[in-house]
Amino acid sequence: MLGQLEVSNLIVRYGPVEAVRDLSFSADAGQIVALIGANGAGKSTTLKAIMGLCERLQGSVRVDGEDVRSRPGAALAHGVALSPEGRRMFARMTVQDNLLMGAYSGQGQRPQKEVLEQVYQYFPRLKERRKQMAGSLSGGEQQMAAIGRALMAQPRILMLDEPSLGIAPIIVADIARIIHEINKDTGVTVILVEQNAQMALQLASRGYVLESGQIELSGTGEELLANPDVRKAYLGT
Amino acid sequence: MSFLIIQSLVNGVILGLLYLLMAIGFTLVFGIMRVVNFAHGEFYMLGAFAAYFAFAVAGLPYPVAVAGAFGGAIVLGAIIERVVFRPFRGDELSGMIASIGLALILQNLALIAFGPDPLSMPSLVSGAYNWGGIILPKSRVVVILGSMVILAIFYYFLMHTRTGRALRALVQDREIAAAYGVRVELMYPLGLALGAALAAMAGAFMAPLFGVSPFVGGTPLLKAFIVVILGGLGSIPGAVIASMLLGLIESTTSTFFGASTADIVVFALVIAVLLVRPSGLLGHKEA
Repeated sequence: MLGQLEVSNLIVRYGPVEAVRDLSFSADAGQIVALIGANGAGKSTTLKAIMGLCERLQGSVRVDGEDVRSRPGAALAHGVALSPEGRRMFARMTVQDNLLMGAYSGQGQRPQKEVLEQVYQYFPRLKERRKQMAGSLSGGEQQMAAIGRALMAQPRILMLDEPSLGIAPIIVADIARIIHEINKDTGVTVILVEQNAQMALQLASRGYVLESGQIELSGTGEELLANPDVRKAYLGT
Repeated sequence: MSFLIIQSLVNGVILGLLYLLMAIGFTLVFGIMRVVNFAHGEFYMLGAFAAYFAFAVAGLPYPVAVAGAFGGAIVLGAIIERVVFRPFRGDELSGMIASIGLALILQNLALIAFGPDPLSMPSLVSGAYNWGGIILPKSRVVVILGSMVILAIFYYFLMHTRTGRALRALVQDREIAAAYGVRVELMYPLGLALGAALAAMAGAFMAPLFGVSPFVGGTPLLKAFIVVILGGLGSIPGAVIASMLLGLIESTTSTFFGASTADIVVFALVIAVLLVRPSGLLGHKEA
């Protein structure tokens, strides 16, 4: 089983601001791991740094024990795919072209057609709308397309940045169910970054709470859900 | 009278195709590299010279001349991206100024090498088609069909191939395209090379109609600029409509009212469209 991720002592700086300060976390192969925290805690920056989309000042990223360099495309070559914050669809391309862009690097053993059909099985709505411009989809549909695009890369590690952001609760539940299904069916490791702590911790077998670019707390999903501090800060109870 | 109308419509379509070939390369380079490339017209000029020397001087078949202009422009475009534009990546203003410098250098090199006098390129084929009283010179039909074939091939490449898809993705979101493995350091030279090649092929096709000299690149560049702004930055359907509109208006107005009136009408139209639709006919709000 492949898809083990280990991030150690990561530091990312935007100008004088340290967005991520000495952050370490790990995910075992096939696990769903949640990173939760408030806006600006450094969650998205951490994912970008893993993908090589922003420079790592210090720290290492390892996938299945192999070191991942800090440049665009390096993590992808190690089987890490990102569904980015805000979805970032190619708005003036069709849904299908967006999905095919996910398979651009051409890695993975299974034929592209087969993976595309699998994505359409998870998200039948995308199949109906495959010829529409991605920009014309609703927020929830765009989120499905963004996850589908990441799946097209046949990742060992699937990183989802705020899949619930700006989406109706009923669709969030749908997306959560599908994330769970994908993890169960394919055994892909899922790194789930969320402000919606409830949804993320329910899905995750392990969770980390980020604050000011550092890990404040970690534990199993259930432990964190039961933790009074977490409840107070992120669940409003 | 009807002959005059048909003739001016045909000329309008030819002009429209020329402007479209120019505009698509221009907007592709802008979309990918974020450089307003003022040297775009010089690739047209070099393409015209390449066709002249290959066809009129060396006596090679015309398709070979066009293919030569294409190949030469691809190589030259990729080299120019590396040498001239790469140092200014991410700096739109400096990139634009560098392109003005490049245009001056290319134009003056052509002036030194070929002299200032316009050369006249012979027509590709002689004779005319006569369809029920409508007379079309064969050479113009060849230019129209040739341009359309090139545009169709390019459209297919952009819309239905893996690399074409990557170029479109790069135009829309560079970071995400890179995250999915699109290699910017390969796509930049490819983009400029393709833009240059489209301009050079336009030059090769239009050389028999508009002549060959170091200064022929200026007008096509200006018209490409207008087409891109009128049609909407980054919109290919917008560019098609705008270039055909521009070509037909220019040609019919100059046939019946003279060339200077045509320029006045065209620019008045551009101003009017931009007053009503600042982002162009089919433009997106965000470039």
